[in-house]
Amino acid sequence: MSREITLTIDGREVTAVEGEMLHDAARKGDVEIPVFCYEPKLGDPVGACRMCLVEIEGIPKLQTSCSTPVREGMVVHTRTEQVKQAQSAVVEFLLVNHPLDCPVCDKGGECPLQDITQGWGPGKSRVIDEKRHFQKPIELSPLIAIDRERCILCYRCVRFSQEVSEDAELQLLDRGDRTFVGTFDDRPYVAPFHGNITELCPVGALTSYTYRFRARPWDIEQAGSVCTLCPSQCNVSFTVRDEKVKRVLGRDNAEVDDGWLCDRGRYGFEMFADAKRVDGPRLKGGAATDWKTAIEAAAAGLLQAGEGRVAAIVGDASNEEGHLVQRIVREALGSPHVDSRPSRGPRRETIVGLAQPNLSARVRDIDDADVILVLGTDPLHSSPILDLRIRKAIRRNGARLAIATERPTALDGGAEAIARYAPGDAHHFILELTRALGGADTVATPLAESLEGAGKVVVVWGERIGSFGATALLDLAKALKLGEADGAGLLEVPDTTNARGLREAGCLPDAGPGLARVSGGKSTEEIRAALESGELTGLLLFGVDPIRDFPDTPAWEAAITAADFVVCFSMFETATAAKADVLFPLETHAEKDGTVTHPDGRLQRVRPSASRPGDIRPNFLVLSELAADLGLTTGIDSQPTAFAALTQAVPFYGSIDDASIGGRGIRWQDTPSGSKSPEPGKAPEPGSPDTQRGALGTIAETAADPRGVASADPGSGASLALGTYRDLWAGLITELNPPLKFLAPEQRVEISLTDANRMGLKNGDAVKVAQNGSSVSATVSIKERMSDGVCFLIEGTAAGNANALLNGGPVSVEITKVEA
Amino acid sequence: MPDPRETRVLLEHAEDPALRTIAGYKGYGGYATLERSYREMEQDEVLKELEDSGLRGRGGAGFSMGKKASFLPRGEMAKYLCCNADESEPGAFKDRELMQRNPHQLIEGIAIAALAADAGHAFIFIRGEYDAQADILDAAVAEAYEAGYLGTNILSTHRDLELVVHRGAGAYICGEETALLDALEGKRGNPRLKPPFPAVQGLYGGPTLINNVETLSNVPRIVANGAEWFRGFGTEQSPGTKVVSISGGVRRPGNYEVELGIPTRELIYGLAGGPREGREIKAFFPGGSSSPVLTAAEGLDLPYSFEAMAEAGSMLGSGSIIVADDRVSIPHLALRTARFYHHESCGKCTPCREGTNWTVKMLERMVHGEATPMDLDIVSSVQENIIGHCLCVLGDSMAMPVGAMVRKFRDEFEQVMAAAGPPLDDETRLAAVQGPAETLGASI
Repeated sequence: MSREITLTIDGREVTAVEGEMLHDAARKGDVEIPVFCYEPKLGDPVGACRMCLVEIEGIPKLQTSCSTPVREGMVVHTRTEQVKQAQSAVVEFLLVNHPLDCPVCDKGGECPLQDITQGWGPGKSRVIDEKRHFQKPIELSPLIAIDRERCILCYRCVRFSQEVSEDAELQLLDRGDRTFVGTFDDRPYVAPFHGNITELCPVGALTSYTYRFRARPWDIEQAGSVCTLCPSQCNVSFTVRDEKVKRVLGRDNAEVDDGWLCDRGRYGFEMFADAKRVDGPRLKGGAATDWKTAIEAAAAGLLQAGEGRVAAIVGDASNEEGHLVQRIVREALGSPHVDSRPSRGPRRETIVGLAQPNLSARVRDIDDADVILVLGTDPLHSSPILDLRIRKAIRRNGARLAIATERPTALDGGAEAIARYAPGDAHHFILELTRALGGADTVATPLAESLEGAGKVVVVWGERIGSFGATALLDLAKALKLGEADGAGLLEVPDTTNARGLREAGCLPDAGPGLARVSGGKSTEEIRAALESGELTGLLLFGVDPIRDFPDTPAWEAAITAADFVVCFSMFETATAAKADVLFPLETHAEKDGTVTHPDGRLQRVRPSASRPGDIRPNFLVLSELAADLGLTTGIDSQPTAFAALTQAVPFYGSIDDASIGGRGIRWQDTPSGSKSPEPGKAPEPGSPDTQRGALGTIAETAADPRGVASADPGSGASLALGTYRDLWAGLITELNPPLKFLAPEQRVEISLTDANRMGLKNGDAVKVAQNGSSVSATVSIKERMSDGVCFLIEGTAAGNANALLNGGPVSVEITKVEA
Repeated sequence: MPDPRETRVLLEHAEDPALRTIAGYKGYGGYATLERSYREMEQDEVLKELEDSGLRGRGGAGFSMGKKASFLPRGEMAKYLCCNADESEPGAFKDRELMQRNPHQLIEGIAIAALAADAGHAFIFIRGEYDAQADILDAAVAEAYEAGYLGTNILSTHRDLELVVHRGAGAYICGEETALLDALEGKRGNPRLKPPFPAVQGLYGGPTLINNVETLSNVPRIVANGAEWFRGFGTEQSPGTKVVSISGGVRRPGNYEVELGIPTRELIYGLAGGPREGREIKAFFPGGSSSPVLTAAEGLDLPYSFEAMAEAGSMLGSGSIIVADDRVSIPHLALRTARFYHHESCGKCTPCREGTNWTVKMLERMVHGEATPMDLDIVSSVQENIIGHCLCVLGDSMAMPVGAMVRKFRDEFEQVMAAAGPPLDDETRLAAVQGPAETLGASI
């Protein structure tokens, strides 16, 4: 099918791929054929708008170029009188019912209907009859207004809802010229990707409330960047007016996001100007100060904490920032304690093993996979854009889906095989799956059957499978021969946006830049313990909020309180930031200049698009100055110098420069320096952190019996194994972006129907979920497809945060009804 | 009793109410062909008989039925047969009669055609308004299952066929074959883009043969008596008999089965009794409301065949003649026609959705005396802008007859437009323009 052919369009010879649609082939010959309904991202063409009619020699009737595959020798005319007449007629027809309210329409100036009318329309209206009327604008959703009079019924939004996000909420109602887009029973269209329809709409029928009447196309500039609100790292374009972000649009990158954007990334920008934003350096108690004073104070405090007694935890940071932070800690403060993971992560050897280029899948590989195994993650919540990608692979390319998770996922409906394991028991399941693939009859055999014999297997795995899960995953990868098949491999869904970049920049306790082996560092959990015990006294937090986001809230509160000196870089005022001795502001992804690394190894550039509010300065400059005050001269005074320092330190980034990253990013595996990726070590070396973690092995043993937790007390009492998850909408995203507030989840405890009946609980009952003295309030939510003996809570909610109940090991909880 | 001038094949014995039951049908030799074909014939033999017969589809397009069946790919896969019983075009009521009077002939035809298509599942998609006919079919299908002519291992031949009667929800567009498939799949009944054609990728993505009720009803006799017998009726290019629905300004409207190729005058004047006392025929639709009208002078002496009607710039379509006598105001008739297609347009493609709407608005202004002088030219050009530009044929189905009416009766449009005045209410307008509301166009 991928044969190159030549055809003639308007007298020009055009080289195209056999079978591609004529509309797309024409573009290669610089011939533009106007379209409304055609959008390849939405799947097969529908040929509904009839705008792209062209003449093909040998075919008497005009053909829609959106749905005509090209053939060798085809001769096409797009500007004959017949074609012009047809196209102009379609424009005229579209305008029969389209109000000419362009001067007050938000789409005016960036409207395909306007452009095509100018380019291909008759120029004069012959319509004197009344146009159709609807009440307008009305709420299609709390975020999107629909103006049905402007709608030209191109079907795009409905196709998106039905065939891309598969929420099937949008429908066409009534028929003929009375047709309108709506939902069943006029219910609001609430779905996590629904903002995409505003971009698909070729007229001003679907507009976001966040952008309506905020700007005109001639007031704005578009600035390309990368969304860093989740590990998907979707490419975005900020609409900027007066140096402020007014809108976020997708920036089509087939290698990353396939042109879609989730509502989190699309609507999560009003927080950039929230009152809770830390907008300048502050001293203890929140007193604003100048930069010189703040940096000197931070340097003095960290030095005073003592050599080797400061630890750093890095979260929301660019590669350059992560690289600088670990240099400060390691080189200026002589301390090996750096980590970038919320809880216990795998040891360096495992990370290196999993990062081998032959094992790593690229996002695009999902499209062509034979089988996709989703392991220990629900992409919808943790990396939303992958949810759409997996649906596409199943729907369009016939990929099969296997799922192994603790909690039911949004993708379950499309799965061929589903396995559920007990919370925290991923490693066990993976071992069993590997054994099943080897022929043994295990609990994972049904899942193994759907993987057997598949050529291209892409494993989308969550960082949450834990350190032992990751080790087990290496064996699974071997059993699945992922390293041997082209297009097969592993794709991680990490807990934090730039997890891969930070690991590779050196933010690991047992690995420095380039994943080079180092020793003696403490992991996040160990740092917490050491702060509490007084072994560590200084703490540098960069883009993390342990009190809210890390497991074991009480312990973190205690640890940070116990620290003598805390320097915190934070975007917003948080519980953690409130305890800082020196508080520095952070830039948002609309302000930052730096690189991040996608979980598939793609380095992407976050570019400054909007002005920094208040007294915020580039983070890498602040870090560089802090380093200087600590006696470490980095020579970093600009993004290029910061990036150069990074690529020098990370051998496999060595041949990447700003030009090769460009607008689409580049996977380091695909560059000449990609061959310099570290070899996985055979066995942990004596004295390395790996061998010092015997204690963790013990924890693994105790967690080893999967049902040990769940069935410890079978069928009696109210004790259930606790699992937790990050909800797409939990956290600051819904608290600081007023338009998203309605999505903020209240804490709810999900249980199976059997358990609910056994405990006499109904949907909506108020309960207390308690563990060893701590408890959170929640309402009962009975779920289908839930295993018995387990329950789930959301992490990071404003009230009843599940992190309060976690302690790093398996947890069982008691659920008691709260009488009203 | 049938008119002796008819040639009754499909409607043979139709006057016998017992024909509806399996016993009555078998009494006239029914199901013998099914038994013989299931026991003795291979797919290719049935197919060859159908192809040789030259049977052309009776639903409107007139495509060779055997050829269509031969387009289905061979091999092990789920294949389907759909009987299109969504007869909804104004003027067409012949399928209703065929199903109502002789349901088993259709079922037998489906079963034999399923052999030719190698289909294991068949559906009759019947328009929702044909409630009584659907009940009759349901009963007949149950009888056929009972008698072992449907189901698994039919007549112990190891051949299976499931037949389901599915009632549509009353949309004209669902008679369009791909919209029918979508509706049958439980989706909104909208036409699909072709290619792929249903023969390759139809119902549930499987190869699907779709045929009209009358087409399939022809199958048992063709297979029983052979292609040569069938070709003994009709013309070279239009073999066979045809049930013609005649309605409008005639004395004896109804269904008449005739050999294709007989003079149209014979149908309208002979069988249907010609116009009423003191009236003359002004024009007629030769093949349902979607066929371009022919004036009496153009059309009455043409042979009633696919080829003759096409040559005259119209079409035989489903074989439904609607006669307009001299009381009928052509502009009103155009409006009535346009309103139907406007009401039934699915809205998927632009020219049909907007063109039908715009046409109705302009025609309304014309008959209300509110038209502008340019409107007649705009109406004409809008029809031209619709024809050949739509996703399916529904848009053309309005544009062709309306375009023909404006072209052929332009002076009448100009007269109506000139009779300007305040908009009239319906009754006054009818009285003024048409006389008493009796005939076609009168329902405006």
